[in-house]
Amino acid sequence: MKRFSDLAIPYIVWAVIMLFLPVLLLVFYAFTNSGNGMVSFTLTLEHFAKFFTDTDFLQVTGKSIMIAIKTTLLCVFLGYPVAYFIANSDEKTRGILILAITLPMWINMLVRTYAWIGILTEGGIVSRIIKVFTGKDYEVLYTEAAVLIGMVYNFLPFMILQVNTSLCKLDKSLLDAANDLGANAFERFIKVTLPLSVPGIVSGISLVFLPAVSSFFIPKLLGGGQYFLIGNVIENQFITVGEWNFGSAISMIMAVIMMLTMYVVRRAEDKVSGKEETANEKR
Amino acid sequence: MEERKPLIQFENIVMIFDENQVVLKGINLDIMENEFVTLLGPSGCGKTTLLRILGGFLEPTEGKVIFDGEDIAKLPPYKRELNTVFQKYALFPHLNVYENIAFGLRLKKMSKDIIDQKVMKMLKLIGLEGYEKKNVTLMSGGQQQRVAIARALVNEPKVLLLDEPLGALDLKLRKEMQYELKRIQQEVGITFVYVTHDQEEALTMSDKIVVMKDGIIQQIGSPIDIYNEPSNRFVADFIGESNIIPGIMKRDCVVEFNDTEFECVDKDFNENEPVDIVLRPEDLDIVPVEEGKLTGLVDSVLFKGMHYEVVVETVPGTSVTVRMKVIKNNEVTSEDGKEKISANDFFVDIDDVESLDDKEIIARADAQAWYTETDELMSISKLEYDLKKEEGEYQVTFTSSSGLSIERTISVVDQKFVKNKKANEGIMAFNFFKTVDELEEAQAIDTDLKTWANAQAWKLSDESQPVEVYVDYDFDPEEVKVGTYKVTFSTAGQEMKIRTTDFVEEGKEVGISFGPEDIHVMKK
Repeated sequence: MKRFSDLAIPYIVWAVIMLFLPVLLLVFYAFTNSGNGMVSFTLTLEHFAKFFTDTDFLQVTGKSIMIAIKTTLLCVFLGYPVAYFIANSDEKTRGILILAITLPMWINMLVRTYAWIGILTEGGIVSRIIKVFTGKDYEVLYTEAAVLIGMVYNFLPFMILQVNTSLCKLDKSLLDAANDLGANAFERFIKVTLPLSVPGIVSGISLVFLPAVSSFFIPKLLGGGQYFLIGNVIENQFITVGEWNFGSAISMIMAVIMMLTMYVVRRAEDKVSGKEETANEKR
Repeated sequence: MEERKPLIQFENIVMIFDENQVVLKGINLDIMENEFVTLLGPSGCGKTTLLRILGGFLEPTEGKVIFDGEDIAKLPPYKRELNTVFQKYALFPHLNVYENIAFGLRLKKMSKDIIDQKVMKMLKLIGLEGYEKKNVTLMSGGQQQRVAIARALVNEPKVLLLDEPLGALDLKLRKEMQYELKRIQQEVGITFVYVTHDQEEALTMSDKIVVMKDGIIQQIGSPIDIYNEPSNRFVADFIGESNIIPGIMKRDCVVEFNDTEFECVDKDFNENEPVDIVLRPEDLDIVPVEEGKLTGLVDSVLFKGMHYEVVVETVPGTSVTVRMKVIKNNEVTSEDGKEKISANDFFVDIDDVESLDDKEIIARADAQAWYTETDELMSISKLEYDLKKEEGEYQVTFTSSSGLSIERTISVVDQKFVKNKKANEGIMAFNFFKTVDELEEAQAIDTDLKTWANAQAWKLSDESQPVEVYVDYDFDPEEVKVGTYKVTFSTAGQEMKIRTTDFVEEGKEVGISFGPEDIHVMKK
């Protein structure tokens, strides 16, 4: 068997190169200043200085993080009950429901987001419904709400699937034990089911928060020009402005922010599940 | 014995799963206060289902569960005054030892110092003081088990339910925990309802054993009662080791088996009622032939550590000898030499003619067709025969898918089987034909010989109950030549297991002695 697995080595080498090369390139760009390819590169921290001294960039970063947090929270609160319901249905229904949730993912994300433009635009279904109830014209498209809707719509399935997996893995005899020891359905949920599904919530959060914080086409399409997030800034730097070095620096800053966030979330998880020592083995 | 009143009463409990799977078929059972009751039976007998009904995790299809005078069949588990120790402990992995034990108390909103006091008392009871901060997932099976018991007992239930709690532990730990559990039960003085399939565990710990099989209670009694006076064959077989012999109850205190009348202590049977007799291996003694109530040849002696297990053949087995005709060749080759087909003549009993179909004929004749070069098999696509339910010889033609055919004879005979009334056995086998090659290629010769001769043995009293057949032959299958050989099929006869501390030689003729109180008579 050892020999057989050795066959994977060229693939692994290839994968490592392909994974790390772009990242290394990004790091290189972030810390250098290039001429026009003729002049040699010079090491510099000026891109970082530019970012942290400009309040506009800091504001956009803050806004991006805020909307990602909102998206994540909405996904947790909308996704958990759905996941709980799926995990507690019989096997056949469970299969159908999982399929129903993954089905939209078969269609390109961009296309689905475009579809939301039609739904949210003036005269679309949403504004008509609002008109019926309030009597006022109200356009949802190109507001923060539209961006939030788009993000939750796109990332919710990841949360549901993650939480559902951890709920399905839950040992049923633990629920019996909780009942046996005097817990009613609600107490059982709070004291056993919820804490034991925290790992699912955490991996759900990482799958929702990370893409949400750096997403650029959802705010671009549903937020219009007025809703500018850090993802759009990076996109602009690369595509419109052509400032690859500055764009790389912002990307790196975002990567560090994400890493820190995930570290904090994981630590919080360990505290909730109360198993500091085994937390790493279990994963 | 102190006066006890029933704490739990099962009244005609029926449990049906999935509309038609009847798991419990009307269980009636009283469980007293402070009693250690064991539900014992093989897997699938319904013992765990009964426990889960008592715990409130299942609602019985029919029947009442009376607890302290009230029907609790529909009460959810958290409202019941009983607690369960689960099969795989079911400790909460996100809580430490202390919090696991305190789980029930916290739900009752007890004050901190009372919880502290109670948990500490429990830790002392189970011998795990100082472990309160430990992570339960890192503890050994035995320790987890103790925590599970403490977690249940701390709620001061009236009844503790235990679902095969020792199943996952190794033998030594299991024995230790048996004493531990009994000690805990006596110390806290509550009712334990214990589920196990381990008869030894049941005998060691219980005040009362309930033996179950197929959703029916077979016997209820103290360990001594159950062991000494099993009420039927199943119980006798399941609890301890036993020799079970068919016999006839002649009158009160006299039973006949092995053609001899013996004095016993059992009464209240009908005259000449057929019964089963249980003789426990440890109640039998090996004595000189002339002093024995039964005699026989020592068949085998096994050393078991504390004792020898001696098997004595008290009634010789039954045997039947058939002829195996070994021929050189049974194949036909096609004209171009590229294909071959082979088959054997065979014998069949006149009573079995009707059950013979194409598949069976191919199997019995061992018909095969193949390509000579590649040895690749091809199918036998056509069979032609005209069999009648009359003695005689019938031709059968096997044809391969490419059209090559071979003709063989099926001999329909009225085969007499050998009857042995004393040992309650019948046996029969048929003569057969084989080639040298087939014998050489045989991989498990004993089994193959049984198949080829279609050898079978059964109980005369119950034809559907097969009896093990042994094979004996005097040729070397590796170097067999063309000719006729004798193959003998035999049964073991009636064997008695005896547990003794004295060594006996194999093959020696010995006597077996026992007293009237060692004979346990059961209804059939």
